[in-house]
Amino acid sequence: MKSYKVEIPEEKLLPEAGIVKAPPPNGEQEGMITGCWRVLRPVIDREKCTMCRSCWIFCPDQAIQIAEEKMSIKLKYCKGCGICANICPVGAIERVPELDFEDGVVRLEKLF
Amino acid sequence: MATQKVEKTKLDRIRSLAKAPMDDYYVPGHRTCAGCGPAINYRMVAKAAGKDTIFVGPTGCMYVANTSYLCVPWAVPWIHAQITNGGGIGSGISAAYEARIRKGKYHGTFPNVIVMAGDGGSADIGLQSLSGAMYRNHDLLFIAYDNEAYANTGIQVSPTTPYGARTTFTPPGPVVPEGKKLWPKDLAKLVVGGHPSVKYVATASIGYPIDLMNKVRKALNVEGAAFMHIHAPCPKGWGFPANKTIEIARLAVQTGMWTMWEFENGEYKLNIEPKKLKPVSQYLEVQDRFNHLTTEHKAKIQNFVNQKLATLGIKVPVEAVTA
Amino acid sequence: MGTKKFLTGLGATATAVKMADVDVITSFPIRPYTGVMMILSQMVANGELDAEFVHADGEHAQLSICHGASAAGARTFTGSSGVGVTYAFETYSPISGGRCPVQMLIADRTLDPPGDFGSEHTDALGCRDQGWIMGWAETPQEVFDNTLIYYRIGEDPRVRLPQFNCHDGYFVSHIPGEVAIPEQSQVDEFLPPYQPVHPLDPQNPVGHGPQIFPDQGPALEAMRHNAMMAAMPVIEEAIDDFGRIFGRKYVPFVEEFMTDDADFAFFINGAHAHTARYAIKHLREKGVKVGLVKIRFIRPWPTDALQENLSKFKAVGVIETNSSFGVARGGGILTAEVCASLYDAAQKPLIASFMGGLGGEPITLNEFFFIAEKLNKIAESGKIEKPVYWLGFEE
Repeated sequence: MKSYKVEIPEEKLLPEAGIVKAPPPNGEQEGMITGCWRVLRPVIDREKCTMCRSCWIFCPDQAIQIAEEKMSIKLKYCKGCGICANICPVGAIERVPELDFEDGVVRLEKLF
Repeated sequence: MATQKVEKTKLDRIRSLAKAPMDDYYVPGHRTCAGCGPAINYRMVAKAAGKDTIFVGPTGCMYVANTSYLCVPWAVPWIHAQITNGGGIGSGISAAYEARIRKGKYHGTFPNVIVMAGDGGSADIGLQSLSGAMYRNHDLLFIAYDNEAYANTGIQVSPTTPYGARTTFTPPGPVVPEGKKLWPKDLAKLVVGGHPSVKYVATASIGYPIDLMNKVRKALNVEGAAFMHIHAPCPKGWGFPANKTIEIARLAVQTGMWTMWEFENGEYKLNIEPKKLKPVSQYLEVQDRFNHLTTEHKAKIQNFVNQKLATLGIKVPVEAVTA
Repeated sequence: MGTKKFLTGLGATATAVKMADVDVITSFPIRPYTGVMMILSQMVANGELDAEFVHADGEHAQLSICHGASAAGARTFTGSSGVGVTYAFETYSPISGGRCPVQMLIADRTLDPPGDFGSEHTDALGCRDQGWIMGWAETPQEVFDNTLIYYRIGEDPRVRLPQFNCHDGYFVSHIPGEVAIPEQSQVDEFLPPYQPVHPLDPQNPVGHGPQIFPDQGPALEAMRHNAMMAAMPVIEEAIDDFGRIFGRKYVPFVEEFMTDDADFAFFINGAHAHTARYAIKHLREKGVKVGLVKIRFIRPWPTDALQENLSKFKAVGVIETNSSFGVARGGGILTAEVCASLYDAAQKPLIASFMGGLGGEPITLNEFFFIAEKLNKIAESGKIEKPVYWLGFEE
């Protein structure tokens, strides 16, 4: 019998039924890099920081990481919402204009 | 229908932030607004639930914003549901595992099934589905993350939108000075009031993460259906700066606009019983969605809160504001 | 091998569902399909069938629960009739696009308003665009067989589509007929256990149905289209295998009766074919050269088979037990698709529509004789006076 199937070019193929693989735990979802949204960059003053972890738990984007007794910020995804600075009980986080930095504003190669 | 014991991994109580689980199952790379309350909620819930979890995502901010485009930020299985049927899809997954484990078609532990529905998908268009799931007592946790509007479609009124709030369907004007005229549904009470099989119902807020995560774990440990109503402020919808999300969440509890309690083994238990409450005006005045309210409107709201607290047994030290 | 039982369409469905070892069943009452759930609930209660029998909060819920269960790897079954079918409408595309091979029995029923329990095909046909396999069974035996065949087609890894297993309300759902019940070993040979490709399983995390950007739409829809097209050879294989294992040889798509030298034919779907055959035998005795063409799958629609088949007649009368108010050419749903099938044919028959059996009325022998008379006139004169006749209202 004749087939009415449509030929889809390889480069246009998408996962069957739109079912996609999940990223690994503690991984990242590179299809939506959000660091470029940022206007104000959070900067942590390590002297003042008491490692209370408030900034870590309240970051919507898991952009604050804990590594070897230090809090650090994953700039690739930080949207600059400023919740961390607002919630820090000792005022250890300052919000600095992104463009003040040499590497200011994460650039995307391709929009989405 | 939980007709027999299901083998699930028991989740331990989290003692402090320092001892909170390190792993994240809701990972960065999603299009939620900067400072999004529901996203903070998702992260905390996923963290508490762990890797043996399946999320059901009815349409809403936590669907569209998270999965744009053709990607998922969950490191655990997830399925899109219609806004109408989070409870249904969750029930189906739970029933499938019951049958397949019992019949020897699946070898593994019974997963956590968590429906993460917005207030619309829980109290309104999704209410029937929620009620069905609770009534049938499937082994699942239904979470209503409440940003008090249909936020994803541009902030329209929902049944949990507070009296007096501006939304794009309840704009204030001479005919309707208060904006929203109707008093909100109390979702958690709805579940408790009418579903005798549900053994655990709790309210929570993203402002209190340890409390939230422990409640999620308790809910998952319980056999059968559980429900949580979680307050998740929305900077865009409510009109406050993105860095104030947690502050606003805490202020809601501090003014009585949001109450924190559990219903377990047939009894209510208050988690936060404030000795003093701030007047609701302090909460209303920092959000643009309330900036059209008069003193009369605010007094009405204070009264509503006082009555709600009274039914929960909280003595109210704050009188209605008249000036 | 096996036994013979006198079963209604609903009883036959329940027996087949039991033998197919379904995992999750969702119920909600509506006439006339409810009986299948009553029987299944008893089977579950007796321990004859090990399945989760879920009392859904409505038809939309029935389908939703099946969607979740199927996505998690279960073989699922549900059903409805009439406005129950249309209430669940929102769920059909998500289920088929999600490639969950749910099976839904539709014991069809006239749509409201007002309440009318009688059979009509519009409830199911209204869902024909949603990407489900769809076809009608004419007898309880065919219902039993289709239940197994549809799972086999739908769950095939090349297809993975849900199925509407339809039959006429009351005429088939409630009137018993003889059903040959096979041995369980035969069923097991024909229908292997469901092997989901990407189930929701924490051991292998996936995301089902993330939001897409419009430019991703065409490819996804083209892939769904291809899945439906892939069903055609799978249907042929399944019917072939069925014949080999159970001894009942069905034609996959287009069934013919006394068409060998026919001048014109009745084109029909569903239970009224039964009466049509009696009418044809009678007409043949009187020397009228008429035959019957019965379609067995509405989706995927067998365009080529029909084109080849119908071209040989001078006239075709499409019997429509459905309504599509304002449809092209004013007949019913099937006429539009039949005309499309014949568009590219070198030789096209003259086509007229006959609205019959609406509201659940039987189509009588006299009405078939009337159709034959009209088709005869068309075939002889080569002209169509009227493209549409409403049986029972014509002189």
